[in-house]
Amino acid sequence: MFNRTILATLAGVIMLAVAPLAQAVEIKHDLGTTEVPDEPKRIVVLEYSFVDSLAAVGVAPVGIADDDTRESIVPAYTAVIGDDWKSVGTRKSPSLEVIASLQPDLIIADTSRHEAIYGALSEIAPTIAFDSLTGTYQVALEAAKTIAHAVGKDAEMEARLAEHTTKMEGFKAAIGDVSAWSAQFIVDNGEGIFLHSPVSYNGSLLSWFGFKNNMTTPDGHTYEEAIVKTSLEQLSEINPQVIIRGKYADPGLTDSWVGQPLYDNVEAVKTGNLFDVNAHEWSRLRGVIASEVSGANLVEIVKNLKK
Amino acid sequence: MSAVVHAPARPRSRLRGLVLIAVLAVLVIAAALWSLSVGAVPIPTQTIINTLFNLDGEQQTYIIMKSRLPRMVLALLAGAALALSGAIIQAVIRNPLASPNIIGINSGAALFALVLVLVFPDIPQVWMPLAACIGGLVAAAFVMVVAHYRNLSAIHLALIGVAVGFVFEAGVDYLLIVSNDSESSAPMIWLTGSLWGRTWAHVAVSWLPLVVLSAVALLLSYRLDLIALGEATATGIGLNVPRQRLLLLLVATLLASVSVAVVGVMGFIGLMAPHIARRLVGGSHRLMLPVAALVGMLLVVLADGIGRAIAPPIEVSAGILAALIGAPFFIYIMLTTTSEQDS
Amino acid sequence: MPVAIRFALLAAAVLIAALLSLTIGQRSDVGIGNVLQLLFVDDGSLARSAVVDLRLPRTLIAGLIGINLGLAGLALQAVTRNPLASESVLGINQGAALGVALALVFPALMIGNLDTMAIIGAVLAGAVTFGIAGGLGGRLDSMRLILAGVTVGAFSFAFVRFTFTLEDNLSRLVLSWTSADISAARFDQALPLVFWAAGGLTVSTFMAHSFNILALGDGASQGLGVDPRRMRFIGAMLAAVLTGASVAAAGPVMFVGLVIPHLCRLWFGSNHRLLVPAVALGGAGLVLSADVVSKLVRFPYETPLGVICALIGAPYFLYATLRARHMA
Repeated sequence: MFNRTILATLAGVIMLAVAPLAQAVEIKHDLGTTEVPDEPKRIVVLEYSFVDSLAAVGVAPVGIADDDTRESIVPAYTAVIGDDWKSVGTRKSPSLEVIASLQPDLIIADTSRHEAIYGALSEIAPTIAFDSLTGTYQVALEAAKTIAHAVGKDAEMEARLAEHTTKMEGFKAAIGDVSAWSAQFIVDNGEGIFLHSPVSYNGSLLSWFGFKNNMTTPDGHTYEEAIVKTSLEQLSEINPQVIIRGKYADPGLTDSWVGQPLYDNVEAVKTGNLFDVNAHEWSRLRGVIASEVSGANLVEIVKNLKK
Repeated sequence: MSAVVHAPARPRSRLRGLVLIAVLAVLVIAAALWSLSVGAVPIPTQTIINTLFNLDGEQQTYIIMKSRLPRMVLALLAGAALALSGAIIQAVIRNPLASPNIIGINSGAALFALVLVLVFPDIPQVWMPLAACIGGLVAAAFVMVVAHYRNLSAIHLALIGVAVGFVFEAGVDYLLIVSNDSESSAPMIWLTGSLWGRTWAHVAVSWLPLVVLSAVALLLSYRLDLIALGEATATGIGLNVPRQRLLLLLVATLLASVSVAVVGVMGFIGLMAPHIARRLVGGSHRLMLPVAALVGMLLVVLADGIGRAIAPPIEVSAGILAALIGAPFFIYIMLTTTSEQDS
Repeated sequence: MPVAIRFALLAAAVLIAALLSLTIGQRSDVGIGNVLQLLFVDDGSLARSAVVDLRLPRTLIAGLIGINLGLAGLALQAVTRNPLASESVLGINQGAALGVALALVFPALMIGNLDTMAIIGAVLAGAVTFGIAGGLGGRLDSMRLILAGVTVGAFSFAFVRFTFTLEDNLSRLVLSWTSADISAARFDQALPLVFWAAGGLTVSTFMAHSFNILALGDGASQGLGVDPRRMRFIGAMLAAVLTGASVAAAGPVMFVGLVIPHLCRLWFGSNHRLLVPAVALGGAGLVLSADVVSKLVRFPYETPLGVICALIGAPYFLYATLRARHMA
């Protein structure tokens, strides 16, 4: 205890002495412009996609809002960031005390989820915010670049993004021309199904790979339009040729529809082009690494497409 | 129809009341200090003392000074304000089941806060407390203006308040549905009455109105005793009952709206604290009001502390816990006071 | 206007609402021109399947819960002699939502399935409300009843909303349950409701005379051979069962039990022999209309039935309290 106190004090003194020398980086983000200390070492992230961005450049956060479920940080991330991080609670209401106790020098927050506590977070450490919840694939990549800049890993991110582009282009080539196919990602939680529209992360990812989408494109860009609760009748009207389904409940609501003519005649169901993917990985994880996982899934899916 | 006891305070019971107030005050201080020591991060007592008095040795400046301390102050302020508001409304409506909820304050505040966040996402969320306060005032003003204009009985006023509450609630439900999910966590957490994420900035905007209004409420407590004598008697001794009722309701509304703005919808403090106080010291408002305020402080401070400690790192809203702590007691009181009703 | 014509008009309104409910939906190949043909002639088309497999059970559920909730409200108002009593004002609907939310947050608390939890929640909330208000046996104070109901309802909803601050998927589950979404309705959910509605209608018809006598006051009814305590218990149980069955099938649908008996009393007078069939028709008509609105408000997306009924019912409740001259 005593030793630790001395160490903490020493660390504080050293930091104070070094601080004026360190180059602060100005980061422009969704909730303003924030000075971030050069190469922050203790980072707390409040959305999964920021874990992705850090893992992409080999930086391990000290705290993650993991919804109090450690397994939600998948092996693809823990392989890079290890297991030496602390849960700071749910993404919706992370514990400010736990965040403060980690003595972070940078906090990465979600624009809409954490706007109301942005002031409180900023009192703990410089806080930058990006649109993870409602952002598209492109927005996620842009955020990843800015995050890399904030943690002083520009070069690493550039290299990683080059690798990412190669990988994604590789997947795209393997997938081939799918512009004739309409694809729809749906989440089934047992009580309802939710369509991820073309303005959502998954929708934008599918269109990046060249899939069509039969949903009418909503104007504007808010969460309720990105993820739309729907009924069987509406699904039959949208009638996608490929359904990629993430189930949070087993059996899902869609399973109870098997045998109903309207469901059995949905193009994707009729032709056997309904594919199950990991709901957590698809609907919650976003970013450089997550999109590569989705891309690899899509290559497998297209291989099994019944034309 | 109130459960108010009309007997004037005798010297002995007054002494008893003062002793009780002293005991409660000690309890509130103890609970407040205890609340500084609990949370998701365990902090040794020595560190807390170091931090509070800026002594040498290990300190936890953020958690103690910038998180737990402002929360404690807000819990005390809001607890007292909500309890006073509830006590006044119960006396004015002359019904033991009345509360700030009854005149639509909570629902009005909730609807306006949600409209701000979900319908106008471009407006910064720092304005949410102001929107909530306005919403509470709009709902209460509607009820009071109708009641005053049409010279309604207190019971009819309460019914209209309930109805206004339902209308605003329907709007809240609609917004929750069309936004498909809680797009932003802040209004959701705020809807359940929580001190999560509260800082000195919230104390700065709310302490002055809450302290002033609480003082006014305590000063006006003798008028509540007069009103409790019944409308005819009160008019007989020269009190303009409708005007007094309006003034008292206005104070109660402001107290509740300002607290709702900073701590969210904490609907049960205003209902339970006056009942507990009445059980302890009887119905004389000069004594009952300060006791109710202390009980309200105690409830909210305890609830906030327990909510932080019960399932870290997840926080349980103080509003929920206060209701859970108070509900059994409240139901017990309600079930045993049925026969005490008059009017 | 003769009573028979009023009933005919009401029945016609119910039929039109039912037809609209069957006609309106996302599929563009069903229209007012072919809906009846699709309903009665099996041409094997998908449009036929949409009408018969998806919309018909939904229309049936909407109509049947309308009957159940209307009758439940009528019974509650009769036995409490309070024109404002109803499932949502007395906290019964909110109690059902609390039961479901508790089971979803703490799976260990789950008794049976979500339907059972909803019914347990409804019955417990009703019991607490009546208990606070003076019990089934004792003197039932009508103002206290309403305030107790509002309190129980507000407490239940506070916890339901707390679940919204937890995990995303959990809050979605709770929300879709508590907003009475019937867009995924199926025949096996509609069939038990037929039974409950028929039972409710029969019991209410038999009780109509007693309800009339009860309106004269406890003393008078005792003199006329109707035991008010017994009636109160039977009426409250009838309301609890009908509400529970509706909640289990659709989720908490607010204010139907308040609005419909109220409106029917304006149109048909206070004789329960006329009120029982009128309320049944009116309840069906209101919920069917609400179902139509729920499909149109944000077309092509749906808005859950419970939210629409609350948006219609709450302002009506306000109107009724503003109009009321004498308060109990």
